[in-house]
Amino acid sequence: MNPWPFVVAAYAVAILLTAALLLWSFASMRRAEAAADAITRK
Amino acid sequence: MHALANPARFLRIARPATSWLLLVGLALAIGGMVAGLTLTPPDYLQGETVRILYIHVPSAWLGMAGWAGIAAASVSQLVWRHPLAAVAGRAAAPAGATFAAICLVTGSIWGRPTWGTWWEWDGRLTSMLVLFFLYLGYIALGSAERERGGEGRIAAIYGLVGAINLPIIHYSVLWWRTLHQGQSIGLSGSSIDNSILWPLPLTMVGFTCLFGAAVLMRMRAELAETKVEARMRRMGTA
Amino acid sequence: MKPKNQRLVLVAAAIAAVLAAVLLAMWGLRDRASYFYTPADIAGGQAPAGQAMRLGGMVEEGSIKHLPDGVTIRFVVTDGKARTPVVYRGIVPDLFREGTGAVAEGRLENGTFVADTILAKHDERYMPPQLGNLAAEHKAGQTLEK
Repeated sequence: MNPWPFVVAAYAVAILLTAALLLWSFASMRRAEAAADAITRK
Repeated sequence: MHALANPARFLRIARPATSWLLLVGLALAIGGMVAGLTLTPPDYLQGETVRILYIHVPSAWLGMAGWAGIAAASVSQLVWRHPLAAVAGRAAAPAGATFAAICLVTGSIWGRPTWGTWWEWDGRLTSMLVLFFLYLGYIALGSAERERGGEGRIAAIYGLVGAINLPIIHYSVLWWRTLHQGQSIGLSGSSIDNSILWPLPLTMVGFTCLFGAAVLMRMRAELAETKVEARMRRMGTA
Repeated sequence: MKPKNQRLVLVAAAIAAVLAAVLLAMWGLRDRASYFYTPADIAGGQAPAGQAMRLGGMVEEGSIKHLPDGVTIRFVVTDGKARTPVVYRGIVPDLFREGTGAVAEGRLENGTFVADTILAKHDERYMPPQLGNLAAEHKAGQTLEK
């Protein structure tokens, strides 16, 4: 059995899920902190 | 005052820490993965498939460490009523669930060419799957309690009781006969040859930094949301 | 006692109680939660004859025989204490070879294990090919001594 498709698939899953976690956390933080800043400046 | 001072002090540390963790984490994780894909020799028995090790082991560690963090936050929530404990627990849950999922999926992909099966209900695989479902339960409980404006005590008790699964996962390969092999790296050393082992610490530390960054970002998001909600409520009543 | 200490004692007691309960339950489950039986279990009569079960052990050196039909193989699984002959029709995983661990799913019929599925089991050691071939000779049995 050719091992590379399995290796590539495993790395792809790891990279995609980690990136999704980081981007989602970053986006929600950005949105929330921008809203909080807007309110304090008022 | 206590409740206000702590998040403020936390944010002073968390803001720079987030960027540093992201930077260092990305550099180490990417470096370790590239090294693990190109620089190390294949295993004598498994061949190239062994490269899945460099992502499977860190994700298993973080899946379990995430719940250990939730358990620690639960204790400090229940005993000391630390104002950030519930926030930290809720922030760690999605990160831990993500890495538990990565561990399960990469393990399954690893199992097909080596064991000859995608999934078997042995002690290690089953207890890891239980951990993933525990995370889902914790996320649901935590968000429900936050919406109701509760203190998060039910989620904390759940987080504490769920920690029982951690020793079960760890010792499953020792207590029971399993398809999963025993542990390779222990206090007495490692049964992985150094030429194969060396990128593993890079991805371990790298993904751990990224995990930390994700937790900090989630905590900052929730603290900012709470601030906005509190302001809205005050404006509503005024 | 201060309420903080009271809560600390309460939480500690709760942890201890749950831990004890789980340890007891796991101790009770020790044998039933095992993923496979070993040849020694079969020799000792602990394995259910005629029922679907799993057999695990090392594939004995020199025991793999390919039958003339081309798809059936016979081999012997051993755990160092007892030996069980296995017969299997089908494709085995790449890592299935003599001197390594394997798990077979199937039934015990007249002392021979008739397998429907063969899974390869590997041990916790990883090494490059040059080292591995040297070490392969004296490694048998490591993953099974539990």
